[in-house]
Amino acid sequence: MKMRKDLFSLLVVFGISAILPIFIHANTSVMHLLIMCFIWAVVAESWDLMLGYAGVFTFGQVALFVIGSYASGMATIQLGISPWLAMLVAGLLTALVSVLIGLPCLRLKAAYVALLTFALHMILEPLLKSDIGRAIGTGGSQGLLNVAPLSIGGYTFSSLELVPWYYAALAISFLLIFAIYKIIHSWWGMAFVAIHDAESFGKSLGVDEFKYKLLVFAVSAFFTGVIGGFYAHYIGVVSTRILGLDLFLLLMVMQVIGGMGRFPGAVIGAFIATLLNELLRVAGIYRLVIFGAVVIVVVVLMPEGIMGVLFPVEKKRPFNQVSNSINRIFKRKVSDL
Amino acid sequence: MKILQVRKLNKSFGGLTVIKDLDFEVDKEDIFGIAGPNGAGKTTLFNLITGFHRGQGDIIFENKNIDGLKPHQICHRGIARTFQVPQLFMSLTTFENVTVGAHFGVENGCDEKKNAREALKIVGLEGKEDAAATSLNIFDKKMTMLAAALATKPKLLLLDEPVGGLSPTEAKQSIAIFKKINKQLGVTIVIIEHLMKVLAELCSQLMIIHNGEKICIGSPQEVSEHKRVIEVYLGGRLNA
Repeated sequence: MKMRKDLFSLLVVFGISAILPIFIHANTSVMHLLIMCFIWAVVAESWDLMLGYAGVFTFGQVALFVIGSYASGMATIQLGISPWLAMLVAGLLTALVSVLIGLPCLRLKAAYVALLTFALHMILEPLLKSDIGRAIGTGGSQGLLNVAPLSIGGYTFSSLELVPWYYAALAISFLLIFAIYKIIHSWWGMAFVAIHDAESFGKSLGVDEFKYKLLVFAVSAFFTGVIGGFYAHYIGVVSTRILGLDLFLLLMVMQVIGGMGRFPGAVIGAFIATLLNELLRVAGIYRLVIFGAVVIVVVVLMPEGIMGVLFPVEKKRPFNQVSNSINRIFKRKVSDL
Repeated sequence: MKILQVRKLNKSFGGLTVIKDLDFEVDKEDIFGIAGPNGAGKTTLFNLITGFHRGQGDIIFENKNIDGLKPHQICHRGIARTFQVPQLFMSLTTFENVTVGAHFGVENGCDEKKNAREALKIVGLEGKEDAAATSLNIFDKKMTMLAAALATKPKLLLLDEPVGGLSPTEAKQSIAIFKKINKQLGVTIVIIEHLMKVLAELCSQLMIIHNGEKICIGSPQEVSEHKRVIEVYLGGRLNA
């Protein structure tokens, strides 16, 4: 049976990363980097589900990730539940917050959805550091310290041994990303694309626009919240530091490099952007300049990202329709005139 | 039986009255035409019936009031429509476009693939099922849009200027397909068109709208001889 190209690409990425530790397990900094790749891959692909597939102009993904981290950390600290359960709780809570933000967004046009969702990002840091935050246990400016690591059976994960963390990250991120794959290829995924491509047409065919928009807010946030929880237990510390613009821009770049709306582009983009970001650290102050240049080159030469280069699809951009028409005129076939 | 009854329909956008005191009825399994100069409010009428806009007055479908319902709910009640400017899901293939209608347009589970194939057969698009929507010419785009609407198994089909921009051959094919839909599937059709020839061939009843008001309603023959209609379209009789 022929396998879909997108599933094949995903399996290649995870297949290669599954055997990498054999060669690099001693290099803790590379191991750590790859674990972060798995984590960002989930966030980036969840964001792409909203932005690339459903066409919802959300800028709140980083905020949702942070909410997930805090929620999971706080759940283990205050409720004493296991990190595994806490991650699930974090996913559900993040989904709830996302739906609450999604409700007012339903009637808003793209730019205003961006503003509203970004507002979540903006208010999150002051909120978490405020008295209200401290009252509910966010640890104020300090954040959460000593967040419990994962444990399976008798074994407790430790920051000294990264191989178990690596495979836990791989397994969890694969599960979440595979779930996204299933959603994209389900009727939900069809509804998301329908709303994105031709909303009125979709509505006239029975697609409940509000239901599916809220659904994508919820589902995308759930996956992000769960992996945010994983991040909390992996790093052991949760703070508002990642609410700066760096991570936000990096996640955007991941989607652009990989190819928006082209699963698993965001996953591939996550690995490339994270590794590139790290490699460019040697360039010191020129890191951002070079990074920016790379982004510009990608956007101009590969508008559909890496997935567009690997698996080109008949393009839907007006530019290409124009060039097709011009080609037809020059070929001058009687039947075309 | 009257499948659609519109009573005292009014719609304004700000200070502009687009539809004024509109009253008409459509018989079940009929083909009902609507014509009128551009800007007369025809598409707005369709938007009101299908829930895209809200107006004042009553819109009654199968003896039940449907104002206030959202477009997807109206689809589930059994009203489908096409758009003046062809709308399609450009990321999908022809077949996938139609399955959206087949799946989301029918409330309880159904065999989407079968319904989609049937709809494509009626509009004559078998063989083009796997074509990307972006590769279709305008006629095929219109037919795909129509097939998707049919896949929702409607009882009433609203066609908004379906023949515009088509060659005479394509227009003729379209007319034949509309007749098939009406006779074989028993679907009531309300069609907005500019070409009198098309309306005369298809419709048993025809309504002319001008500036949001009904000018005349009757058989195509009666309507084309109506004094006010001639005034509106041609600016008055030669020997007036």
